[in-house]
Amino acid sequence: MRHSVNRPPTPDAAEDQENVPTLQEIINIKLIESGEKERLMELLRERLTECGWKDEMKTLCRAFIKKKGRNNVTVDELVHVITPKGRASVPDSVKGELLQRIRTFLNSAAL
Amino acid sequence: MDLCSVKARCSVPKPCNHLADYKLKYGRTGYDSLRNNFVTGSNGNTIVCMPDKKILTCFFCNGYHERLYLCLICSSVSCLDHTLLHTQSDCGHDIAVDVKRSELYCGRCRDQVYDPDFDSAVISKYKKDLIVHRNAFESIGERSSKRRRLSSAIDLDLKKWKELSCMRDQRAKSCYPMGLRGLNNLGNTCFMNSVLQALLHAPPLRNYFLSDKHNRGACQKRSLDRSCLLCDIDIIFSAMFSGDRGPYSPAQFLCSWWQHSANLASYEQQDAHEFFISLLDGIHETENKLRDMNKGAGDCSCIAHRVFSGLLRSDVTCLTCGFTSTTYDPFMDISLHLDPSHCFSTETTNKGSKLNGSTSISTSTLVGCLDLFTKPEKLGSDQKLHCQNCQERQDSSKQLSIGRLPLALCLQVKRFEHSLVRKTSRKIDWHLQFPFSLDMSPYLSSSIIRKRLGNRILSFEGDECDISAEYEIFAVVTHSGMLESGHYVTYLRLRNQWYRCDDAWITEVDEATVRASQCYMIFYVQKMLYHKANDEIGCAPTSSRRDSLMSVVGCC
Repeated sequence: MRHSVNRPPTPDAAEDQENVPTLQEIINIKLIESGEKERLMELLRERLTECGWKDEMKTLCRAFIKKKGRNNVTVDELVHVITPKGRASVPDSVKGELLQRIRTFLNSAAL
Repeated sequence: MDLCSVKARCSVPKPCNHLADYKLKYGRTGYDSLRNNFVTGSNGNTIVCMPDKKILTCFFCNGYHERLYLCLICSSVSCLDHTLLHTQSDCGHDIAVDVKRSELYCGRCRDQVYDPDFDSAVISKYKKDLIVHRNAFESIGERSSKRRRLSSAIDLDLKKWKELSCMRDQRAKSCYPMGLRGLNNLGNTCFMNSVLQALLHAPPLRNYFLSDKHNRGACQKRSLDRSCLLCDIDIIFSAMFSGDRGPYSPAQFLCSWWQHSANLASYEQQDAHEFFISLLDGIHETENKLRDMNKGAGDCSCIAHRVFSGLLRSDVTCLTCGFTSTTYDPFMDISLHLDPSHCFSTETTNKGSKLNGSTSISTSTLVGCLDLFTKPEKLGSDQKLHCQNCQERQDSSKQLSIGRLPLALCLQVKRFEHSLVRKTSRKIDWHLQFPFSLDMSPYLSSSIIRKRLGNRILSFEGDECDISAEYEIFAVVTHSGMLESGHYVTYLRLRNQWYRCDDAWITEVDEATVRASQCYMIFYVQKMLYHKANDEIGCAPTSSRRDSLMSVVGCC
């Protein structure tokens, strides 16, 4: 998408009305506004540290950097390589716990 | 210490061309105008907020799942793909800020970049926000554990900021390995200080306490009995690894240990090895009480056992019929004899030597002592053991070997000889040569039995094969002086540099000094754990704001 050079264009009023927020977006907004998203992030961070996932990722990153050479790695590359491995190795118990929390939240929040 | 390489590790990486161009053009104005957009949450993370939009999404695709970046030139917010397109299509719009992390990103290099001026803009807002948080909490007057945790984290942070500002002067000091700190002598307590220094730097033990595996806040023993040995050890770890370099007085711990080992509670000189064993025993008992268990040494999972416990195998062979009975006993350390009668013999070990005690082994080296320890020993005629095969007492020989190696191995050199016959005690002062890298595989049961029986297909129970047999030394407790009045000093090996820990005085020493010392307790740890630990105890960074924040408020 190419827009004008130095300033993003003012959003068109007509375009806006077509963008009805999806259910996902609504849930996201509710999660953020109530502060639940931040709490869930903290919980997730805690769980992933406890079970050693964070250390595993750190080790993978170190191995990758060692292989490519410290000056030949960018953050983008690292994220690109590590993300699929990270997603695949999240323990089921952690996934389950967070899904449960989200479910509870959805039940309690008036949607 | 090589000061040049140390300085290099602590310096800021060079800016990329694009960041340099940006700075030339705009200087700090971009960062300063962003200051009001930085918001520090209660978890200590600083994020970027836009006043008009509560929830940031990519301007182009409305995505909010990925990382979002705020362009420093035009303030448009976009996801990574659109940031890169933005950089390509709009010349000069290279530098952006990661909104969730407040970190600089260069769209042309596609990599994170660093600028101390940017960091100081974030830091100044962070400091301001922290003070506001703290004031808010204090004015509300709420007493919640979260508040206490946060305000103590805040206090720690503000202290850290004061430290950061004079860090440049202390750069040399702060680049020493973490946890290196003197221990004050509280009255003939060098026996305790020396062992504590070794334990503080035993990688598995250090990692256990520093990763808060024993949580003082949640400790039930502490709330019930008012004192818990593990909590007091945890306090020492926290204090020693706090970054403070002044000597520490482990008075509370001493008190706690006295309560546990009442028979040793005095200001008299004591034996370091006795203290070591009593401390491990205290940890074992405390953990078992906490978990309401009564585990024996063999299957206990307390941290003392997990780190130091190994299995000793004892084979007793009947010299008449050859029948061998085998028993296994757990051990927390191995005590090695310095045998005076063998001191000057030459080393003669034959492969597959028979059980005749005539082979003499030199014990002026640690390896010699280990050979002596695993040598078959003919039991005296007054020690005839009952043979199950012959059904009567027969002359026997006994041989020890290692059934399972521990993570950390403590070898004690028996320098204090107490003779019941002569009713005297004396100290054996001979020098013992010890290696920095030790391969324990010749002393494993598999090797010892094979040596005795030749190359056979033998099965060995247990997880002998799982644990590596290669060890690296990390601490030596040395004794100088006489039996009744002596002094203990510990040498620590951190990142391949030796340090002498003499109560409150820590000095760098060279290898030769350590090799010449009179070792009493030698601590080895598995090679892999040693190298891993070396990576972890790097110097405290002085200029990277990110790392010091992380270590304090625990954001990942």
